[in-house]
Amino acid sequence: MGSRSLQREFSRPTVLRSAIGPLIIAALALGALVILALLLSETPGRTLRYFFLGPVQNTYYAGNMINTAIPLIFGGLGISLAMRAGSFNLGGEGQLYGGAFVTTISAIALGSWGLAGAVLSLIFGALTGGVLAGFSGFLRKQWNTNELISSFLLSNVVVLLVSYLIAGPFQDPETNLIATRRIAESFRLMRILEPSNLSSAVYFALLAVVLVHLYLYRMKSGYELRMVGLNPMFARYGGIRVSWYRIWSMFLSGALYGLGGGFAIFGTYYASVREFSTGMGWNGLAVALIARFQPVAVIPAALFFAYIESGARSAMLHSDVTFEIASIVQAVVFFLVTSSLLQRLGTKRRSV
Amino acid sequence: MELAVELRAIVKTYPETGLRANDSVDLQLRKQEILCLAGENGAGKTTLMKVLYGLEHADSGTISIGGKVRRIASPVDANRLGIGMVHQHFMLVDEFTVAQNVVLGSEPRMWAFAYDSRKAERLVDSVIQKHRFSIRADAVVGSLTVGQKQQVEIVKMLFRKVDILILDEPTAVLTEQETETLFVTLRALAEGGTSIILITHKLQEIMAVSDRVAIMRQGSMLGEFDTKAVSEREISRLMMGQSVSLNVIKKPYTKDKRPVVEFDSVSVVKRNQQRPMLDNLTFTAYSGEILGFAGVGGNGMGVLEAVLGGFLPVSSGSIRHNGTEITKSDTFGVRRNGLAYIPADRLKVGSALEATVAENIIVASRKKFSRYGFLEKRDMEQHAKALMQTFSIQGESKVPIGTLSGGNIQKVILAREIEQFRDYIVCCEPTWGLDIASSKFVYERILALRDQGAAVLLISSNLDEIRALSDRIAVMYRGSISALLSSEDAQRATKEELGAYMLGISVQEELHG
Amino acid sequence: MNTVIIPILRSAISIMTPLLLAAMGGLFTELSGMLNIALEGLMLMGAFSTIVFAYSTGSLLQGVVLGVLSTMLLATLFALVTLKLKANVFITGLATNLFASGLTVVLSYRLFGNKGVVVFDNIAALPRISIPLIRSIPILGDLLSGHHVFVYISWVLLILVGFSLYRTPFGFRLRAAGLHEKTLISLGLKPDRYRFIAFLISGAACALAGAILTLNLGAFVPNITSGKGWIALVVIFLGQKRPFGLFVAALIFGFADAFSNYAQGAWNIPADVILTIPYLFTLVAMVVFSIYTNRRSRVE
Repeated sequence: MGSRSLQREFSRPTVLRSAIGPLIIAALALGALVILALLLSETPGRTLRYFFLGPVQNTYYAGNMINTAIPLIFGGLGISLAMRAGSFNLGGEGQLYGGAFVTTISAIALGSWGLAGAVLSLIFGALTGGVLAGFSGFLRKQWNTNELISSFLLSNVVVLLVSYLIAGPFQDPETNLIATRRIAESFRLMRILEPSNLSSAVYFALLAVVLVHLYLYRMKSGYELRMVGLNPMFARYGGIRVSWYRIWSMFLSGALYGLGGGFAIFGTYYASVREFSTGMGWNGLAVALIARFQPVAVIPAALFFAYIESGARSAMLHSDVTFEIASIVQAVVFFLVTSSLLQRLGTKRRSV
Repeated sequence: MELAVELRAIVKTYPETGLRANDSVDLQLRKQEILCLAGENGAGKTTLMKVLYGLEHADSGTISIGGKVRRIASPVDANRLGIGMVHQHFMLVDEFTVAQNVVLGSEPRMWAFAYDSRKAERLVDSVIQKHRFSIRADAVVGSLTVGQKQQVEIVKMLFRKVDILILDEPTAVLTEQETETLFVTLRALAEGGTSIILITHKLQEIMAVSDRVAIMRQGSMLGEFDTKAVSEREISRLMMGQSVSLNVIKKPYTKDKRPVVEFDSVSVVKRNQQRPMLDNLTFTAYSGEILGFAGVGGNGMGVLEAVLGGFLPVSSGSIRHNGTEITKSDTFGVRRNGLAYIPADRLKVGSALEATVAENIIVASRKKFSRYGFLEKRDMEQHAKALMQTFSIQGESKVPIGTLSGGNIQKVILAREIEQFRDYIVCCEPTWGLDIASSKFVYERILALRDQGAAVLLISSNLDEIRALSDRIAVMYRGSISALLSSEDAQRATKEELGAYMLGISVQEELHG
Repeated sequence: MNTVIIPILRSAISIMTPLLLAAMGGLFTELSGMLNIALEGLMLMGAFSTIVFAYSTGSLLQGVVLGVLSTMLLATLFALVTLKLKANVFITGLATNLFASGLTVVLSYRLFGNKGVVVFDNIAALPRISIPLIRSIPILGDLLSGHHVFVYISWVLLILVGFSLYRTPFGFRLRAAGLHEKTLISLGLKPDRYRFIAFLISGAACALAGAILTLNLGAFVPNITSGKGWIALVVIFLGQKRPFGLFVAALIFGFADAFSNYAQGAWNIPADVILTIPYLFTLVAMVVFSIYTNRRSRVE
């Protein structure tokens, strides 16, 4: 069935020996963009110019673009970790949104605890995401329930519940926005590239990339996780507890998403605004798919997606197209990125 | 006399494995005869028939049907030429009725687009009645017994008016009774004008139902014989091959033997299988000896391997290691207990092809190479390099193991397991796919282990290997041990004798401990 | 009592129709062995294109026909990438949804200069059918008669769906593709061909489902489908993948929806919480199902 074949293809992620596949996909995506611009815009040249150049034309736009990439990096790392163990986490939306929410209210509750409060809030947010994803992993271990669907369904429930909580019991009475109260000044991360809203969260994102990379390639546990993904039979044969890693990888995956949500709050939003993170979960998935689940490759992949979104925003502001072209371009990526036909392009055939 | 089918010089190589499944094979099927296509597993019988049926394409060679050379590109072509095939694994939709399964693809129509179920049942019924089958056209296939499902497959072919019928290991899943019924059916079909090819490795069946038998071994056709003119022993010899001696010198083991691994009435029963996969299996493996397990595929050797490796839980009985119960241990547990295990399936179980050689090597010994949770990469690489040198493995430790040749991958797995064994090692098909030099090397290593006091459990379908290496031989048949040969008997046993035990022709009077 | 239950039931029958139609379309893909999560996106596409074409041609019929065709075009894209490029059907389904949601807003903006609600003032109301004899029956008449035309079309289509799946060679081969595709292959038939047709059918059916939403409203609202495509999936599974079961399941959800509308007014349960029900329900059903199948194939 669909998900198991994806698992077969991706549980053996190829090292970026060949970047041809992802490059073709990126090229096709941007090509689709050009076609859209030609079709939909009265001034296609202007549209394209603002799309491609807008995000990098000055520090404001470039900084914002990098800022958009931060939650994508966390999400991309999370998905990559899960896939490296052969697990599917499709619940990113709920894990990120839920993690962000828990971080927010923890931060509000622990407002006077200073650094400890901030760290705890982030941990709680990460735990939220981790438990949500880990639950799907547990269902898989215990009863072989498809974690792809269960994580997705659970995520939908969480998104709705969190939205309810934000609009209801936790609504900030003093604002017109549907949002919680704002976190204390002391919890907010420093802006590092004025006038853009790029915060120091980017350092944490980069740190996360390093840590995940080290974990996967330098630690015994990461090695075991990778073996589970490369060949579960082999891992089991070697005495690795495969089913445990399936849960653990999902947990880590959700925790990274939750952390991404937390940092989005601390760095950019300062409050849980209803539906502020819509789409970030899916983009994290797309980023991981393009990066072929390599932690380091998540960075350029996340920047690519952020670039598309920023380009779309810039084109929207200065030309006559709407922001949603980004969705179409992203859809093209999604269409192509799991094509096993395209994957075969450029990869060496194994000599047996 | 016109031949129903003539295959000439069929060559078929599978690109993925480089295996020459059919090496210039000739075959003739006479009209209205029952021809058995016999041989061991892997002899190439199924491939040859798949070529005839259009499921595979030969690299070269010709197929003639009724005297005319034909191209068979798909089962549709085969059907049109009157060829039908009953597969080993049923191609049936359990949720549909017999009639629906039979007519699928050639459904009778009503009003041009609707399915005429009444007509379908009528037509299928007439085929069933004509050949006196026991099934009903409106029965749901899922509710039928295995033997009846096979009848549905046969009816499916007869419905398409085939006069050449191929059956692939049809009795593999049948009871004695059902097998008898099948043979009666086949004889009636042959008399009625159908020419039949029966793929099998079971000796009794060849003798019971065929007019002639064609024997294949390792991709080559050895010849076609009149069944009446040849004895069981001769067929067995042809199927298994001549006795070839491997130059292996064995020293007798002089130290005290103690039991290392004991199996006591171990059975494995799966809910949806008729026969138990392991049937009260009992044996003891001692230190300093090689206990060889011989048998034909499908008789439990793979299951035994899985149980020893902790992959398959047992339903009853007990397993002990050095006196301790390990019946309930899974792979994690037996590894911790010191299992060394060379799996039969090197690529799927014994290695992770995308991981590096070093990563493959340390999988069971990873604890030794980690400190505070971090892998000591330098030590890992050093260890890998040293091991590769000792075992003369070509390649580097940092490349994905999949880039090594098959033989070298083998050696890596061997090296890894041999190097970390504690008191017993399970070796399955240790030289499958290896050349002579590498095989010798492997044998020397296994013997060295034995001399050091290891209990070696050797599971292999290669009789030469079993005979050359084993101190004692256990022959497996239908999930239990049909013969257990002590050292002297094992030395003297000929391939024919072993073959007889393996095929269930002979049963040992008393099993020696 | 009667003044509450009857209107709710009547409302249920009306509300269930888009669900039933989308579920019928998804039934074909599901039976062919493909998990089709793009029902949502296809519905959205249908909703948008139907009303836009109805508006521009001035004719409801033409609007519907063109809407169906354009949605089938999207379904073709979905099918081709999945079957020919051999991509993962779940991800391509996600892509289809994303594509539809982006495209509808983009086109809405381009054509009408408006990313939000677009009201179309020249859309005729959906014709309603008053069934001659039935309408006079006291309770049944209130329930069954006087609905808009699509309600009755959906009932007719349901019968046709049942017929095509269980009484035509096409239906048998399609189901065989999902149940045991090796059987088809061994007979020289191509399972993918039937799957492709199933994708197209799902596109057409979802188009009709979406059309109801916008035509009834006379306007296009972004994300007008809001989860109905997912509920259609649940309907398929809840209905045991059989036509009559689909009807019952869709009715249940229609009732739940109608009831929640009432409850929202009467009891103040937040909308968000009610929306979680189909997802929770499916999740629980999935887990229960896994426990059951797990128990059945154990080593004894």
